[in-house]
Amino acid sequence: MSEVADVLRRLAVVFAEFEGRLEQTPLIRKLTRGRFTLEDYRAFLVGLRQQVKDGALWMSRAASNVDEAHLELRSHLMRHAVVEHRDFRLLEADYLGTGGELAEIQGAEKNIGSEALSAWMFHEASKANPFGLLGAMWIIEGLGSIKAAEWGRLAQSRLALPDTAVRFLLYHGENDVSHMAEFEEMLALVLPDAQVSARIVRTAQVTARLYALQIEEIAA
Amino acid sequence: MLEAYITGVGAFLPGDPIPSERIEDHIGRIGGKPSLLGRRALGWNGVATRHYALDAQGRAQHSNAGMCAEAVRAALDDAGLGREDLSFLAAATTQGDYLVPGHAAAVHGELGGEPLEIASFQSVCGASLMAAKSAFQAVRTGEHAVAVAAASEFSSRWFRPSFYEGTALLDAKGRLRAEADFLRFTLSDGAGAIIMEPRPRPHGVSLKVHFIDAVSMAGSFEPCMWAGATVEDRGATWGHVGPAAAHAAGAVALLQDFELLKRVIRAWVGVYLKKVDEGRIVPAEIDHLLCHYSARSLRDELLQLLEKTAGMIPEEKWFSNLPTVGNIGSASIWVMLEAFLKSSRLKAGERVLCVVPESGRAFVGFMLLEAL
Repeated sequence: MSEVADVLRRLAVVFAEFEGRLEQTPLIRKLTRGRFTLEDYRAFLVGLRQQVKDGALWMSRAASNVDEAHLELRSHLMRHAVVEHRDFRLLEADYLGTGGELAEIQGAEKNIGSEALSAWMFHEASKANPFGLLGAMWIIEGLGSIKAAEWGRLAQSRLALPDTAVRFLLYHGENDVSHMAEFEEMLALVLPDAQVSARIVRTAQVTARLYALQIEEIAA
Repeated sequence: MLEAYITGVGAFLPGDPIPSERIEDHIGRIGGKPSLLGRRALGWNGVATRHYALDAQGRAQHSNAGMCAEAVRAALDDAGLGREDLSFLAAATTQGDYLVPGHAAAVHGELGGEPLEIASFQSVCGASLMAAKSAFQAVRTGEHAVAVAAASEFSSRWFRPSFYEGTALLDAKGRLRAEADFLRFTLSDGAGAIIMEPRPRPHGVSLKVHFIDAVSMAGSFEPCMWAGATVEDRGATWGHVGPAAAHAAGAVALLQDFELLKRVIRAWVGVYLKKVDEGRIVPAEIDHLLCHYSARSLRDELLQLLEKTAGMIPEEKWFSNLPTVGNIGSASIWVMLEAFLKSSRLKAGERVLCVVPESGRAFVGFMLLEAL
């Protein structure tokens, strides 16, 4: 069994358990049980914006801490950061699409979970060769490729939202289909290495827990 | 602890095989009209024939407990034993003939004979392995020398038009909601049973049971396949409003949430991969996989993830009788095991992994067997 497959398997387990935890959060329960309101959706967008805005920033910081022996991984991280660093603008546009005011989403403060998640990401990204962050990317990219479109479709059908109000969630589902192949490539750049494997899985676990905390803390 | 061996397997399939185009003769047409969704469901499921305990006029030819008793007799016969040898009966079903008391009592009633220790297991497909675990423990502790784990389903009587007509499950044009209609073309009737003893039988194949693990994730997920509440309000169960009002609201029929099912499938795979990671299941050591699944389309979704994570058991090792018997709920795994043993594919020393996922409320069970 290759070490890449071993790590992918452990990450798949972490993600499955993360999904189970998300199901239990008040916001997602409302969404899946048909009790989701427009206020809930707006609060959701506000909550997501903080993390999306920080995402490209911690990824850039992580890239700046990758050494010369791993230039290919550095390239991957930089490209990724470039692709995603304006995504929070799409969230703002969606917020306007729901009839919300730009000042509301731009002026909102991070919730407790977002504070913890953001602090953790920048802390990890500040370390030399922060390869554990591949585990964090697995969680966050998995949300994009698996959960975002699912949530977007549910929110749109429950609230009869126009397409211009759900672009962020739906766009992610469409764009992240190649995520597994690209992720495998990145893993192969830092594996085999038992310590790195363990750190990737651990970072995924912590990131999943803090992400779920962020969703738990979203309240309309 | 003693060991436990499967020494006999029995199946009972009611009536003749019914081809897809005649299904609605048996389960009926709602408002007299054929189902449009039904035809698509049959395509996804990949089922050619199935069995019903209802005749072509929708009349019951058996009871659920009666079919279960037939499977128990067949399993005892296969083991070379008789009713008098049996001391423990664990019986599983999704919906018994009676609301009360339990299914095992009804099966014992059909079997007749001396007093038995009994245990009833009511869930969906996974009830089979819950009952098997009970029989396994009864044998291993030495409390019983001959135990049977049986499972049976009479789903089709719940699919008759009267379960839907006059309820909120029909739209203004008289079409049934997908959450209800899909299952009508997915589930069929039948029964299966296994005998367990603390030693192999003197002649013929016995299967040593290495473990049975039953894992519920109901703490994280809402009901995904259920009867007793409406689609919109799964928390308000039917007893609060009484049977007539619950029926009118569409809370009595069997329902499935397809959106939730996708998430539950990933949860099942997560549990499986965790077992692989812990070394409880070693894919390379599995010679035959008997995985209960209701639709071929569901299976295909899982393959990529399993391959990437070194969790895959190669497809040539999979055995299924889904195309000829359909999904018989809790009875499926025993009916499949019976067909597998008859196929003579199994050789001494080989390992068989049985996997029974249940969408009811995010449950998955595993049973590892070794042929002697």
